[in-house]
Amino acid sequence: MIAGIMPQAEMVHWWFASGFLMLGLLLFAEALVGPEVWRRRPWRAYLWPGLAFSMGVLMWPVMAFYTNSAIHMVAHGSWAEVLMLAGAAELGVARGKLHSQYWRLTSSLALVVSGTAFIVHEQNHWLFSRAAFLHHALGWTALVCAVFPLVLAFRPRSIAAASGFAMFFVTLAVLLYCDRDVAPIFGHLSQFAGPMHR
Amino acid sequence: MRRALVIAALAALALPGAAFAHASLRNESPSYKQELARSPGQVLLQFDQSVVALPKAIQVFTPDGKNLAGTPRAIPAQREIVASLPKLPKGPYTVRWQALSNDGHIVTGVYTFGVGVPAPPVTEAVGAQGPTRTEDIVRWLYFLSLALIVGGLGFQLLVVRGPLPPRAQRRFFWVTGIGAVGFLQVGIVSFLLRGEDMLQVPFGRFLYGDLSPLANGTRFGQTFIAMTLGFALVTAFLYLSWLTDVRALLWVAFVLGLVFASGFSLSGHSAADAGHSWLSELADWVHLTAAMLWVGGLVQLLVVVWPGAPELRRTAFLRFSRLATVLVACLLVAGTYLSILRFPNVHDLWTTGYGHVLLIKLSLVALALLWGAAHHFLAAPRLAAGAAETVVGRLSRSMLGESAVAMAVLLAAAILVDSKPPPQPAPRAPVAAHLGRR
Repeated sequence: MIAGIMPQAEMVHWWFASGFLMLGLLLFAEALVGPEVWRRRPWRAYLWPGLAFSMGVLMWPVMAFYTNSAIHMVAHGSWAEVLMLAGAAELGVARGKLHSQYWRLTSSLALVVSGTAFIVHEQNHWLFSRAAFLHHALGWTALVCAVFPLVLAFRPRSIAAASGFAMFFVTLAVLLYCDRDVAPIFGHLSQFAGPMHR
Repeated sequence: MRRALVIAALAALALPGAAFAHASLRNESPSYKQELARSPGQVLLQFDQSVVALPKAIQVFTPDGKNLAGTPRAIPAQREIVASLPKLPKGPYTVRWQALSNDGHIVTGVYTFGVGVPAPPVTEAVGAQGPTRTEDIVRWLYFLSLALIVGGLGFQLLVVRGPLPPRAQRRFFWVTGIGAVGFLQVGIVSFLLRGEDMLQVPFGRFLYGDLSPLANGTRFGQTFIAMTLGFALVTAFLYLSWLTDVRALLWVAFVLGLVFASGFSLSGHSAADAGHSWLSELADWVHLTAAMLWVGGLVQLLVVVWPGAPELRRTAFLRFSRLATVLVACLLVAGTYLSILRFPNVHDLWTTGYGHVLLIKLSLVALALLWGAAHHFLAAPRLAAGAAETVVGRLSRSMLGESAVAMAVLLAAAILVDSKPPPQPAPRAPVAAHLGRR
């Protein structure tokens, strides 16, 4: 019964892409105007951490319903957990419940774990299909961009790091919007990838 | 040299290579859990990409482990593998399949079907060994995590009934938070262990093995999904309560925890074995939740109240002692009913492995009850009468002992859950049927 009402994986990618796009735009707005101006309305401080935490909670159904192998289960589960962790830590700092700025390192940790999970759970090579390419690209982008929240934990006023962190989520959204399981990428599609679908 | 090593390492990560490509099963015939009226002529597996048929690409096992499948062959144009079958007699069958993706990766799966009989769950596929000692330990950790979160929340809401001092409140959230996160992690490990047993392949191949029959086709898999989603919400509400200091959110988390803990009762012996009914499932849930509230409450007394809120020791101990009386009554009534249900003959208690474990569990429960009774009838009145602080302090060591016994009870319960109860006697044929045959 559940299988009949489950949305296609592509749709789920787009929903999460929309969430990440919103996350990136919020972070970008904060980076542009600076934290002082951004937090003149106190609720704005909770916007992006709250969104990240909610997306972490929503990732659990993805883990539960779209699991077809152990490696997929571990990858989806780790995304759910690190999204919740990073969002929770940032919310704690914003609310004043957590006092150390080093809690912001959880965002960096989240990107490292997410990037590694992307790369490890994609068994095919870069140009096997569009989905394979995007998984590799997402994984490496997350790993490289983990440096931005790392810098922010030590230099919270760095505009470059804040903008880079925001742009990561925008890039992530763009890559997720492009996702399509079996389709060519830059004119390449492995003859072993199966028929194009979706 | 160092630069060359870095470049080599990056290249190795960036180019996992063709050896990791894999195919996924799209369709199978007969399909998973299908009950066929007549013997199928062949087994057909269709993949999403081209595959090569290995010598044992399709094996169809009878319950006694005999492979009846003919030599498998691949049909590359259709991305299919087919194996012919002789005429299968009535009975359950297990299909074990493996395929070599054209670019080198072996994918594996297993499913069941029946001819003239219902297909068994995939956890009972031919070749599956059943739960191991590792699974017993993981199940125990599952129960402990549940006790920390549900018991912790119950203690906070039913025993403390108000805000704790800041230090104790921090400890409360740490303990229940560890329980919540632990429950999610242990749940995943438990599911993967069951999947590993089902597939019976080396670890490298298990990582990419098809687990969908376990997730979607068994009570275990379905309740795992429900409990994982439910306890993700419990974790979220627990966290939000900490963040916002809104106590009502703890009630939401507690109720959700109690509801989703029923997953154990809906997938265990009380829901799947002969003689099960809604009453046996309810009794199992009452038994489980009473045990969780008792063990979790003890841990809260020991780890949160005693070191974190000395001023609340007396009140919390006396209230918990009263709650424990109700919990013990629930435990005993539900446990006795379930024992009667699972043991058609009293001698099964000392002649079967399940009975032996139950006897050990009952001995531990008796010890824990005696310990609790000593607290209730000896320590509680002295505390109520205003005993000296030294007595109060000594109680912590006694509660540590009771907690240790309670956790041993949970270990015995975990082994019982993973063991097979004694078989139920075959139902007698109706008298009319006997007469008719004569």
